[in-house]
Amino acid sequence: MSVLVYIIKRILNAIPILFIVSLISFFIIRLSPIDPLSELKLNPAISPQTLEAEKIRLGLDLPLYKQYLRWGGNFLKGDLGVSTSGELVADRLKERIPNTLLLTGITIILTWLVGIPLGIYAALNWRKPADRIITVFTSIGMAVPSFFYALLLLVLAVKTGWFPIGGLTSFNFSQMNLFHKIFDIIHHLFLPVLVLFTLSLAGLQRQMRGNLLDVLESDYIKLARAKGLSENKVIYKHAVRNAINPMVTLIGFEFAGLLSGAALTEYVFQYPGLGRLVLEAVMKSDINLVMASLMIGSIMLVIGNLIADILLKIVDPRVTME
Amino acid sequence: MTVTKIKINRNPIKQILKDKFAFVSLIVLFGLYISVVFANFFAVYPENFSDRNMSYAPPSKIYVITPEGKFSKPYTYNYKRTFNPETFSNDYKTDRSQRYYIKFFAKGFEYKFLGLIKTNRHLIGLDNEKGRLYLLGADINGRDNFSRLLFGGQISLTIGFLALFISFPIGLLYGGISGYVGGITDNVMMRFAEAIMSIPSFYLLIILAALLPANMTSTQRFTLIIVILAFIGWAGFARVVRGMVLSIKNLEFIESAKSIGASSFRIITKHILPQTASYVLVAITLSVPGFILGESGLSFLGLGIQQPDASWGNMLKEAQEYTNILYRPWLLTPGYLIFVTILSFNLIGDTIRDVLDPKSYGR
Amino acid sequence: MTKKVIYILLILGFFVFAATSCLHKDIPEVEINSNLTQNFVQEHISHAKGKYELIEINGIEYFRSRGNTGKYGGTLSNSTIGEGPKTFNIWNSKDNTSSSLAGIMFEGMFTSDPHTGEVIPKLAKKVEIDSTGKKYTITLRKGLKWSDGKEITADDVEFTYNTIIKQGYGDTSTRDVMTVDGQMPECVKLDKYTIRFTTPKPFAPFLRMLGFAIAPKHIMKSVTDKGKEEFNRFWGVTTNPKEIVTNGAFKLKEYVPAQRVIFERNPNYSMVDSKNNVLPYLDKYVVYIVGDLNNQVLKFEAGELDILPVRGNQVARFKSLEKNSDYKMYNLGAGDGTTFVSFNLNRRQNEKGKYYVNPIKQKWFNDDNFRKAVDYAIDRDFIVANILNGVGMPLYTAEGLSSIFLNENLAKGHPKDINFARKLLEESGFYTDEKGILHDKEGNIVEFTLMTNAGNIERESIGVMIKEDLAELGMKVNFKPIEFNVLVGKLTGSLDWDAIIMGLTGSSLEPNNGANVWYSYGSLHMFNLRQGKDATNKVDLRIWEKKLDELFAKGATILDFSERKKIYDEYQQIVYDNRPFIYLYTPLNIYAVRTKFKNLDPTSLGGVLHNLEEIYIE
Repeated sequence: MSVLVYIIKRILNAIPILFIVSLISFFIIRLSPIDPLSELKLNPAISPQTLEAEKIRLGLDLPLYKQYLRWGGNFLKGDLGVSTSGELVADRLKERIPNTLLLTGITIILTWLVGIPLGIYAALNWRKPADRIITVFTSIGMAVPSFFYALLLLVLAVKTGWFPIGGLTSFNFSQMNLFHKIFDIIHHLFLPVLVLFTLSLAGLQRQMRGNLLDVLESDYIKLARAKGLSENKVIYKHAVRNAINPMVTLIGFEFAGLLSGAALTEYVFQYPGLGRLVLEAVMKSDINLVMASLMIGSIMLVIGNLIADILLKIVDPRVTME
Repeated sequence: MTVTKIKINRNPIKQILKDKFAFVSLIVLFGLYISVVFANFFAVYPENFSDRNMSYAPPSKIYVITPEGKFSKPYTYNYKRTFNPETFSNDYKTDRSQRYYIKFFAKGFEYKFLGLIKTNRHLIGLDNEKGRLYLLGADINGRDNFSRLLFGGQISLTIGFLALFISFPIGLLYGGISGYVGGITDNVMMRFAEAIMSIPSFYLLIILAALLPANMTSTQRFTLIIVILAFIGWAGFARVVRGMVLSIKNLEFIESAKSIGASSFRIITKHILPQTASYVLVAITLSVPGFILGESGLSFLGLGIQQPDASWGNMLKEAQEYTNILYRPWLLTPGYLIFVTILSFNLIGDTIRDVLDPKSYGR
Repeated sequence: MTKKVIYILLILGFFVFAATSCLHKDIPEVEINSNLTQNFVQEHISHAKGKYELIEINGIEYFRSRGNTGKYGGTLSNSTIGEGPKTFNIWNSKDNTSSSLAGIMFEGMFTSDPHTGEVIPKLAKKVEIDSTGKKYTITLRKGLKWSDGKEITADDVEFTYNTIIKQGYGDTSTRDVMTVDGQMPECVKLDKYTIRFTTPKPFAPFLRMLGFAIAPKHIMKSVTDKGKEEFNRFWGVTTNPKEIVTNGAFKLKEYVPAQRVIFERNPNYSMVDSKNNVLPYLDKYVVYIVGDLNNQVLKFEAGELDILPVRGNQVARFKSLEKNSDYKMYNLGAGDGTTFVSFNLNRRQNEKGKYYVNPIKQKWFNDDNFRKAVDYAIDRDFIVANILNGVGMPLYTAEGLSSIFLNENLAKGHPKDINFARKLLEESGFYTDEKGILHDKEGNIVEFTLMTNAGNIERESIGVMIKEDLAELGMKVNFKPIEFNVLVGKLTGSLDWDAIIMGLTGSSLEPNNGANVWYSYGSLHMFNLRQGKDATNKVDLRIWEKKLDELFAKGATILDFSERKKIYDEYQQIVYDNRPFIYLYTPLNIYAVRTKFKNLDPTSLGGVLHNLEEIYIE
């Protein structure tokens, strides 16, 4: 029961966040000198009348606050508006979000599957060669600029012919059977996942290592040892469990980072994800598209944090839910 | 299985000197920072010197043995570019008509050493100003890659630290206060921080960078990019600190500090924040490189430091073209430098963490 | 102890390694005679082929292919850079990608001959223009079908021009360009296969405009009846491909957002080969949506693409690999794009009474000698050599080098002549001080800002070169690449700029398409853009601006090619003399295409795929 009340409370809390987000982003975008119609303006075939009509269609002639109210009203009604090029924003988001979730979801699962054990292993072998080697290797992965790393991998793919050059599916995808389809997607996902994985592994591994080291030094572990519990039990039952707790909050961040973190990688790999879409939209000041993506991103974060906090409550009863 | 107790030096500097990886990293970073501080001295050419005949010229070859087989002072030849209209290729041939000897402490362009002393001496140069010494080749405009790396480093190597100095104190205090005070204050403060964070950071970065007015000097642009990086960095940090404070403040020793009547500010700064040291240190190590990468990402999209000013990010942008990766590997050097810098920061950070973390005392 | 020795050895070893890799023995290299004798100077692979032969089979009037007889099957993979199509409704497309992709599916009554640029029939079979030059009577081919089997008739044509275009459905730019003196040409259906157009006065570009895609009335009538909003949404990118009815060689099969568009053969297409097989030969035509040039090249190298526009320094690479490869390269000559430097010649004040351009700078920019000096100081050959890696030509004329209206006398231009440039400046009272800094008559230091769009490496590099060229004259140029959208805002809104490097795509066939740039009230008259009340106030028009207004108004009304050309020759001469734009270069169009494709007929005007329906795989 208390959990339910807590969830409702959190959702109510989220409303002002989303309001602030929309306000900040709307005004930042609108105050920028970028003109959403600039491409049309440079097109010799577009007449001033057309431009004027476009301006009215996009509501650019209204004062700023009215534009915001108009946008906000539509958003509440579930209408995300149309992009500068006239398509429904909702359609464009719908086709991209699943792809991005797929890419980053796989990345996160892989990172956790590999990063947590590596972190534990490194902590238990503190300052031994194994610890050093793991840390150095994960650091190497983190030290390359993602777009550069991605480019080098693409060149490798060209030279070897092992991987397709960007995209998510082959051109004859729709004629494939299920098994081939899955294989095709994995084939395409391999390189982008590799980039994101190597980049995010180090952070997680360090965090886990640090947390576990902290816990191992804490009084209650000392106490457990003093009680004569077996070392394995002390470490895996008590220490690791407690060390993972703070990591749980990280899920919330990674969940939100899902939508934005992969932007450059998506861009280089021509991955049909949200990142690439928003990147292009921001550059063109396609306000409805950018606003919708930012709001979706924010909602994701709110949900992510909520899940993280509930998980934290479940694994660590000491945290109270005020 | 037991956790082995290895003796560890409490003095971070000594520990870094002892640790092989950290020591090497420190030397590397030291070398890099010395190079960029004295960029003018090490550089062969000024930042914007260009010889358009030398577009994409490969690195100069330095010879010590003459064709006759004799040892000689190191010398180099100029390149001569020929264009083949059939293959559309530009070929660089060594022009053997004149040797240019390499001189140390040679005369070159004039600059102010450390911003104070006017001089025109450089570490290396050629004996004749018609010679071209491109240690790491040239870019599309025939600018010396080596010299530009030095000047670009001045920006890339400082941007992270400067952003850190703005964002960390704010985040630490903000998170500390919010977590400790709790209640409505916490709620309001966190809602605001979360709102900033909920705007996906990289897009916020792009939007803000696209906002920068066009008629700014490069210094202004540099400063504003730092402020933007910092503006995005602080909130996430504050939130984690607040989370840690929340779990720490229920611990007994905080309760006892409260019971003896310590002020909130004192409890936050003296008792709670030090407990977060481990995270903060890891976060700092991860942040400086993060900011450097942030700048390079912005430059990749053309929103960072602008030409003709150099930064490692915008130099790398030029290198990313396919033919450049294949045929002009010298253009990739900024990528390697970013890599080495970030790796060094991380390795040193790890070591510092192990030393400074109060809980590792007595291990 | 031993450890230390090892370290010392390691470090020593490192230095020795570093030294050996930097220090070389001086061995003169042997001259290698390259045996690359194949000529890669512009090759026109084929020559004009005249009109299509009309043959009737089962009551359908087909055009007969002029290529070799091929066989069915296969896929050709192409690519487009950018975000992909926004709509498949060609009458509503406002961007190039959508137009060119939808253009694969839809044809008009006429098209341009890829060899000569002449207007030739496509869905039509003939056109008669009466002696007044205002009446066009057009006969359609009989029995042609839409991809859903319905016949293409004069009704469709009448619907397209009188409803979609005239009433302003979708993109109104077609209506804008067709409008003569505020009036749309009249369109009347005479019988099932005959239509008559009447223009208010002779209008030379009109016939080519009849190449505009014809819409299926039986599908679209119900849409236009529901209004413009409905029309704008119609055949958007989320439409089921089966619903799109086409009359081109291909129809839509699948669109995967941000990845690719797949077209398949339209079995009802209106052309046959020598054995009376209906074209096209290819089963599928795939267009990949790639984000940037780099990705495009990588995809071609990996074999995913069959055709690649090769740019700049990639040409050398692909050329050197061509011999042992499965592709062949075609040099189609100069493209129709132009790149230029322009000064802001605006002498007016904004509403607040502030000059758009600082009055001191105004004097320089409006000084003919100043602009001429800049022109002569710029080294175009170097720009071509460095920026385009030689894959381009210096440009001096307002019409591109591939234009059929090019003024040949000007095309050669002039070499860089710094002394002449200095002399010109002297004539206008400019002088250089002892530090080599240029001052104007009043002693002001000549310093201005040159802008271009950031992120475009070519233009950024040009900026650096021009800055240096002008430094030779003592001018101080602050070169500033800024965000494209911001730049456009300055060019079309705030007008507060000194000088820019910009590019425009031209048209090799129709100079009147650039009228917006040259009419003094044109929306792209960027060197002296007039907004609001200034648009009608012609007091401060320069003589040559007035002359350009006249020439463009006149040029559009003359139908005879050689008469028309004289007029456009004159306009190029005026632009050349007055230099509102100082043209820099034009890149060459070079393509690499896999050799397995046959019937290729690349031309300078039509590109590589103008006869896509004839192309087959051996």
